[in-house]
Amino acid sequence: MSDATKETPGGLAVLRELPSNVWNSIFRGPLPSTDLERSSTSFTNFFLHIHPVKVNRNTLRPAYTLGLGLISLFLFLILVVTGVLLMFYYVPSTTQAYDRMLDLRGTVAFGIFLRNMHRWSAHGMVAIVFLHMCRVFLTGAYKKPREFNWVLGVVLLLVTLFLSFTGYLLPWDQLAFWAITVGTSIAGYAPLIGKQMQFVLLGDTTVGQEALLRFYVLHVAVLPAVLVLLIAVHFWRIRKDGGLSRPEKPADPVAATGIVKMRKVYGLQGFVRGPFTKVGNVPDDSVYSWPNLLMSELFVFVLTVSVILVVSLMFNAPLEQPVNVMHPPNPAKAPWYFLGLQEMVSYSAFWGGIGIPGIMVGLLLVTPYIDRGTKGVGKWFAKERLMANTIFLTLVTLNIIFIVIGTFFRGPNWTLVSPF
Amino acid sequence: MRLALAIAAFVVLIVHGVVFYDQFFHRWERHQTAYFEQARSLSKNERERAELEARAPRIEQVIVTSFGDTRVDRCTTCHLAADDPRFTGHGEPLKTHPYSTAMGDVFRDGRWERRHKFSDFGCTVCHDGQGRGLETKYSHGEDEFWPDPLAGYVTQANWRKDFAPKLKGVEYMESNCAQCHTATDFAGTPNVNRGRKLFYAMNCYGCHKIDGMSEGTLGPDLTEAGKKFKIDYLWESIVEPRANLDTSFMPKFNLSEADVRSLVIFLKSRRGVNFAETSLDRYKAHVENVAVVIPPGTAGEKAGEQLLADRACTACHKLHDKDGGIAPDLSYEGLIRDNDWLTDHFQNPRSRIPDSIMPAFRFPRDDFQRLSAYLVSLKTPPAAAGAETTYHDLCMRCHGEKGDGNGKVAWYIDPSPRDFTKAAFMTSKPRERLVTSIKNGVAGTSMPPWGRMLKDEQAGAMLDYVLQTFTREPLKELKPRNLPEKNPVAGSKESTAHGEQVFLERCTGCHGRKADGKGPNSLDILPHPRNLRNSWFVDSVTDRRLFESILYGVQGTAMPSWIDYGLTQKDVGDIINFIRNINQKSGSPQYARN
Amino acid sequence: MAVAKESHSTQPASDASMPRRRLLAWLSSVGLFGSVVLAAASNWFFFKPRVTYGPNARFAIGKPEDFPPGTRISRDVERVCIAREGNKLAAISTTCTHLGCIVGISDTGFACPCHGSRYDQDGNVTGGPAPKPLPWFQVTLAPNGELVVDKNSQVDPGTYFTL
Repeated sequence: MSDATKETPGGLAVLRELPSNVWNSIFRGPLPSTDLERSSTSFTNFFLHIHPVKVNRNTLRPAYTLGLGLISLFLFLILVVTGVLLMFYYVPSTTQAYDRMLDLRGTVAFGIFLRNMHRWSAHGMVAIVFLHMCRVFLTGAYKKPREFNWVLGVVLLLVTLFLSFTGYLLPWDQLAFWAITVGTSIAGYAPLIGKQMQFVLLGDTTVGQEALLRFYVLHVAVLPAVLVLLIAVHFWRIRKDGGLSRPEKPADPVAATGIVKMRKVYGLQGFVRGPFTKVGNVPDDSVYSWPNLLMSELFVFVLTVSVILVVSLMFNAPLEQPVNVMHPPNPAKAPWYFLGLQEMVSYSAFWGGIGIPGIMVGLLLVTPYIDRGTKGVGKWFAKERLMANTIFLTLVTLNIIFIVIGTFFRGPNWTLVSPF
Repeated sequence: MRLALAIAAFVVLIVHGVVFYDQFFHRWERHQTAYFEQARSLSKNERERAELEARAPRIEQVIVTSFGDTRVDRCTTCHLAADDPRFTGHGEPLKTHPYSTAMGDVFRDGRWERRHKFSDFGCTVCHDGQGRGLETKYSHGEDEFWPDPLAGYVTQANWRKDFAPKLKGVEYMESNCAQCHTATDFAGTPNVNRGRKLFYAMNCYGCHKIDGMSEGTLGPDLTEAGKKFKIDYLWESIVEPRANLDTSFMPKFNLSEADVRSLVIFLKSRRGVNFAETSLDRYKAHVENVAVVIPPGTAGEKAGEQLLADRACTACHKLHDKDGGIAPDLSYEGLIRDNDWLTDHFQNPRSRIPDSIMPAFRFPRDDFQRLSAYLVSLKTPPAAAGAETTYHDLCMRCHGEKGDGNGKVAWYIDPSPRDFTKAAFMTSKPRERLVTSIKNGVAGTSMPPWGRMLKDEQAGAMLDYVLQTFTREPLKELKPRNLPEKNPVAGSKESTAHGEQVFLERCTGCHGRKADGKGPNSLDILPHPRNLRNSWFVDSVTDRRLFESILYGVQGTAMPSWIDYGLTQKDVGDIINFIRNINQKSGSPQYARN
Repeated sequence: MAVAKESHSTQPASDASMPRRRLLAWLSSVGLFGSVVLAAASNWFFFKPRVTYGPNARFAIGKPEDFPPGTRISRDVERVCIAREGNKLAAISTTCTHLGCIVGISDTGFACPCHGSRYDQDGNVTGGPAPKPLPWFQVTLAPNGELVVDKNSQVDPGTYFTL
C-alpha cells in the first residue's frame, strides 16, 4: 500500500482515526490466528522475541522441568519490584534502619505485606534455584553443548546466595547483625586473603555502619545488575544451545533415507536450529510458542505469585530486638542456607567454612567438563548416569542434613539439643 | 491447566482484596472516630462541633529529641483523649491522662495545667513501650523482642509466670522519673530512694559497682543494669542468684517482696547516664573515679558498734539479734580472733581466707581499726553447757544440724565445712589431728581456733560428741605407714620443674591448671579439691601429711591414692617441692578473687 | 500444564469445550486484571506517606493569656505568625507564597528577604513577585485550654478566632 497514492485525510477524519492509529502504531499486527502470525510474534514483539518460534513438547512438560527455572525468574521479578518499593522507605543507617523497619511494619500502607513478600520470595528463591540446579543435574542437562550454561547457573546460584546474605543484614536487628557477624567470620578463614576480604567486605573490622552501607549498595544495585546480566546470558545460551534439553529421539526412518539433510536453512523457520523444518515431513514434536509456551509461563507466574501472596498473608517476617553489640544471642546462627556451613565450621573452621564448600563449588563447576558421556540426557534419574546422580544426591543430602542439624538440633553454645 | 490458571488468578485477586482491606479500617481509626463523636456530644458550642465534624482519622505523633535518641511517639493516635479533661471518666484508650500535683500539675482558674506536656515529653520517656507501633501488641511492648515494655503495665509472654504479678504496678515507672529527678530524697521516687538505701543496707555495694556509688568488683557492674536488663531478669537475679549462672556465689539475701521491688526499681533506673547530668559531669565522674559515697563513721565509744550497723555487716553475718544467714557468727569474735587477724581480714578478706567471698571494702583505715576494736571486745563466752548445746551454739551454723556440712552458711564457705557423716574420712584420721583442728582451727579456712575459748577437755568432749552423733563409727586402727617426716627430695629447680610437670599431667583435672582447686571436675566433687595456693593452709600441713594424702589418697574424698597409679616417692617429693614453691611468702598478696 | 494436543493452530475446539474455555479465560482475565487494578491502587496508597518526620502540622501554642492583645509574634519553627487584636486571634503563615522563604515581620506587615515580596498586616500582597496572599490557618481552643493552630486547615484571610 503506497502512501503516495492516497490522499492525506482531512481534519475530522484524523481525529476519528486517532485511537486506532495510536493502537496500530504500538501493536503492528492483529492477535495471531494463523501459523504465520504465531511465528512472527517471536520477531515483532520486544518482550516475546526472547522465545523461539517453536519449542519442543518436552520443554513444556511440567513433570520434566517442574517449572523451576521460571519460578526462580518470577521470584526474582517479585523481589525486584517489592525491593524497589521498600527502598522508598528504608534508610541504611545504623541509627535509623530499625526504626524504619518498625514504621514499615506499623504505619506504611502495605508495608508489612511488601516486606513479607520480599522476605519469603528471597528464601523461596534460594531454595528454588537450588532445586533447579538439582533438576538440571539429575536430567543430565549440563552436558554438551550446555556446559557453559551450567557454569553460568552455578555462578547465578552464588550470586543469589550473596544477594540473600547482603539483604539479611538490612533490618539491623539482633537476628540480622549476628547472622552476618557469623557469616563474615566464616569468610575470614580463607587462607592468605581471608582477613583482607573480610575487611573489604565489612569496610571495618566489625559489622557496623560501613558494613550496612556496603551491603545495601551490593544488595540494591551491584548484585541485581550482575544477576540481570547473567540471567540474560543464561537465556541467550538456552536459545543458542537449541532450547531445553530433551530425551534423544529414536532413529528416524525418514531421515535415514537421506532425503532430508541436516543443513542450515535460512528461511523463517530455519533461524532456529534443530529438526524443525517441514521439508522432510519429519514427525514434529514441537509446538508454537504462541500461545503454548506463553500460557505455561503465565500459569507458572500466576502460581508463583499466588503462593507468595498467600504465604505473605499468613506469616510475618521476623523482626527481633534492636542490635545490641554487647549481647550476642546464644546461639548465634547464620541464615538457614549457611547453617550447613556453620555446622561444619563447628568441627573445623577452615575446612568447614572454606575448604569443603570450595571443593563442592569446584566440583559443580567442573562436572560438565569431566562427565563427557552423552547418554541419559533429557530424563530424570537415567540409568546411564547412575554414578553421577548418586554422587550428586549424596552431597546434596549431606548438605541438607547439616542444615537440618544446624537449625533444629543446635542450642546454646552450639551444644546438641532436642527440638522436641 | 486453564482451570488451574483461573483458580490461581482468583486466589491472587482475593489475596489482593484481603490485603487491601486489611490496610484500612485500623483499630486506631475506630478509636478516633469514637472520640470525635463523643467529643461532639460533649461539646458546648457549634464551632467546636463543626471542627470535630470535619476531622478525619489521622496518625498523631510527637517527635521528641530532647531526651536522648529521637523518639517518635504515636500513642496519641489511639489515646486521642489524653489531653482532653472531659474524658476522665471514660475507659481506655479514650481516657484523660491523670493529673496530679505529685507530677507537678497545677490546678488554676478552674482547670488543670500539665507540667509534663506531651508535646515536650512524648509518652515513652516516662511509660516506655514502643512509640512507633500502631497496634496494641507492638506499641505496648508485648512483643517479646521489644526491650522496653510498658513499665508496670505489661509483662511479656516469656517472663516467668510466678514473677509476672509482682512486676506490675505504676511504681515501676519511677525508674523513668529518676532519669531527670535524680535527687536522693525526691518525693516522687520513693521506691528508687528505698532501693538506693537498700543497696547500701543490704551490702550490695560491697560486691557490685555502680559508677559514682560503689566500687565492688566481685559481682557484675550494675552501672547500666537498667539499660541492659528487663525487670523480670533483675527480679530473678535478686531472688534466685543462681538462676542464670550456676556458679554464682551471690548470696540469697533475706529480702521481703517490697524490698525486692524497690531494689528492682532502683536498678532499673541505673542507665549509665541520666538526663540530669551533662556529658561533662559524666566524664568528670568517670575520670575522678569517685569513691564510695558512704558517710564517715561515728567516732567515740559506740563507734565500732555503730559502724557495724552503718556498714550493714549483719546483711551477711550474725551478731546479737540480727542474722543475715550468709556468713559466720561474730558473737564471740573477740575470743577466737585477734586484732591483727581482724584488721588484715577486713582490708582484704582473701589475705587470710583465700577463697572467701567477702568483698574487700574500701573503707577508710580508721573504720577498719574501729571495727576490729569493737569485734575484739566481744569476749563474752557462751554460758557453760554440754557438748550438744555447744555444738548448736558454735558449730551448727557451718557444719549443720545433722553434722553433714550443710549448715545455714555452708554454701558460702570455701573450703566447705567438713561433713562428719563421712565415716570413711573421719575414721581414717588420728584423734590428735581432729582435736587439733578444733583447738587450733584450720589455717586459711573459716574454721576458727576454738581452743581459745574452749578448754582442752571441752574440745575433746566436742570431738566425742561429733563422732558419736554424726560419724557413728569408731576411729580405725591406723596402719603405720612408711612416710618421711620431711621431704627427702631436695628443693631444687629441677625438682620443682619436674613436680610441676607431673602436676600438670595428673592433677589439673581436679585441682585446676592454676592449682587453685578450680579444675573442671571440681564442681562435681564434695568436698571440693583443695586450693593448693592457700598458703596459710599449705604452710600449716607437714610434708608427711602431704606425702600421705598424695600417695595414699584421702579416704572419704575423691583424692585417689596415687601410689596405685604409678607415682613414686620421688615424684611426690617433686610435687611437694612444687606446691611449696608456689606458696612462698614472697610479699605479693595471696592469689585473690578480686 | 499439559501441552494441549489441540493447540490453536491445529484443530478447532469442540463446541462443548469452547464455552468452558472462554469462561475460564474470562475468569482468569478478570482475576488478573482485577489484581492489577488493586495492586496499582495499593501502590498509590503505599507511596503516599501516612506520617512525615518533620514538625507537627497541628500544634499547641500556649494559653490565650500568653498572647496579650496587640501581640504579633513569629514562630520560626512552625512558620506561623500569631496575631491578636482585642479578643480575636489569627495565625498567618510566614512562608512566602513566591518561592517558600520565611518572611519577616515588618512595620507594615511582612517582608520577604529573598525576592522582596511585601505583604500587609493581613497577609495581602502589596508588592513584589508573590502571586498569592499569605494563607491563614485555623486556630481552635483545645479542651485543655490551649490554643491549637492547624496548618492543615486553612481559613479565609480575615477569619479570626474569637475567644
